Amino acid sequence: MNIVGIAACTSGIAHTYIAKEKLMKAGQALNHTIHIETQGTIGTENELLPQDIAAADVVIIAADIKVGGRDRFAGKKIVDIPTHIAIKSPKALLNKIQAELGI
Amino acid sequence: MLKELELKRHAMTGISYMIPLVVASGLLIAIGNIAGGNPALISDYKSSYTLWEAAVTLGVYGMGLIPAVMSAAIAYSIADRPGIAPGLLMGMIANAMGAGFFGGMLGGYMSGWCVNFLKKNIKVPIWAQGLMPMMIIPLLSSIIVAFIMFFVIGRPIAVASFALTDMLINMQGGSKAVFGAVMGAMAAFDFGGPVNKVASLFADGLLINGVYGPEAIKICASMVPPFGVALSWLIRKSRYSKSEADNIKIAFPMGICMITEGVIPIAAVDPLRVVFSCSFGAAVGGSLIMLLDVASPVPSGGLFIVPAMQNPIGFLISLGVGSIVTALLLVVLKKDAVEKQNDGEDDEEEDVDLSGINIK
Repeated sequence: MNIVGIAACTSGIAHTYIAKEKLMKAGQALNHTIHIETQGTIGTENELLPQDIAAADVVIIAADIKVGGRDRFAGKKIVDIPTHIAIKSPKALLNKIQAELGI
Repeated sequence: MLKELELKRHAMTGISYMIPLVVASGLLIAIGNIAGGNPALISDYKSSYTLWEAAVTLGVYGMGLIPAVMSAAIAYSIADRPGIAPGLLMGMIANAMGAGFFGGMLGGYMSGWCVNFLKKNIKVPIWAQGLMPMMIIPLLSSIIVAFIMFFVIGRPIAVASFALTDMLINMQGGSKAVFGAVMGAMAAFDFGGPVNKVASLFADGLLINGVYGPEAIKICASMVPPFGVALSWLIRKSRYSKSEADNIKIAFPMGICMITEGVIPIAAVDPLRVVFSCSFGAAVGGSLIMLLDVASPVPSGGLFIVPAMQNPIGFLISLGVGSIVTALLLVVLKKDAVEKQNDGEDDEEEDVDLSGINIK
């Protein structure tokens, strides 16, 4: 799958980046193309590129707070989860999404 | 129904916008007070004033802005950009009436919902579309929610808020220790998760009302788990596997900065014993904080803001004792780690219920 996503937690200094790492690792291990943007307290980092969003089969938003720039994903399939799910079982999450999308 | 309101997500958004402001304001007050010997607030800008007076005054301005920022961020989280204007206004009312942080939160929710309601239910002809975001929504939502704040809920919240503050200030001996223990245990319980956030929200709310003790408990309880785990590893290395030891080496410096999350990988392997030991140590630390009258005007920053606290030595004692208790409990309760054959990657995943996840 081609995956893009956003990670954002409340304090914006720890969970945000752990969630990103876990999703990236799981995605690469399962041979998906994955890009995750972080919206921490420092601001947006690794901002998603328009071509990556365009190519994405699914958008994963792992956030405990409101994320910015949702309008970029108009018409995309979006999965909303809290960060702890991405941290605790990223592979199971990706496999479930893949199964539901059937690709 | 309650879940659809997403109360928690909005509150968390509010807090995430508020934290940098609280830290900056709290530190400004602390620095000005320490360096300038409790300088007076600037009341007249036409006469001269010192650098430290300026620092403390700015800090106090910042603290006064907190209910407004909290309220605006919650309203923004609910209703996007149109929420900000009424949200800021409701926070200002809450601050002025003495309804503080909790009044600000409520004002934020009401502003957000009101804006969403107006957006959905007011229909205007095409030529007036531009007036909706420019005039109709900001004006109507501000009037409606301001009426409720001024004349209905503002006063009761202020009274409740004063009563709570009074009660905490006047607590003595045993009840102080119990309060400290409960706050400490809650703040450490899930290493930065939802229970911690409840304790944290409570402490932040009291901070705005001028009660600084709970913030010190929160800071102490956020640092006891990483310090305690690191200490137990130093005492008895055999209790941890090699990969756990690597995690501890990262968790400790994170702990210095008051980030508890580094302990999560350790707790994930052996949750019951680690959570119990950490919460118990943090409860002991929290009690000591209250009994030694430690207080922190700054809500986060770890060891770096200890000099800014009231009774910094007392803080270090509480943190030290709490960490030692956690460490000893871990040494006693934990079994020796079994080295796994396949120690390649942290491939293990917890079983999480994924059935509620929908793809939209």
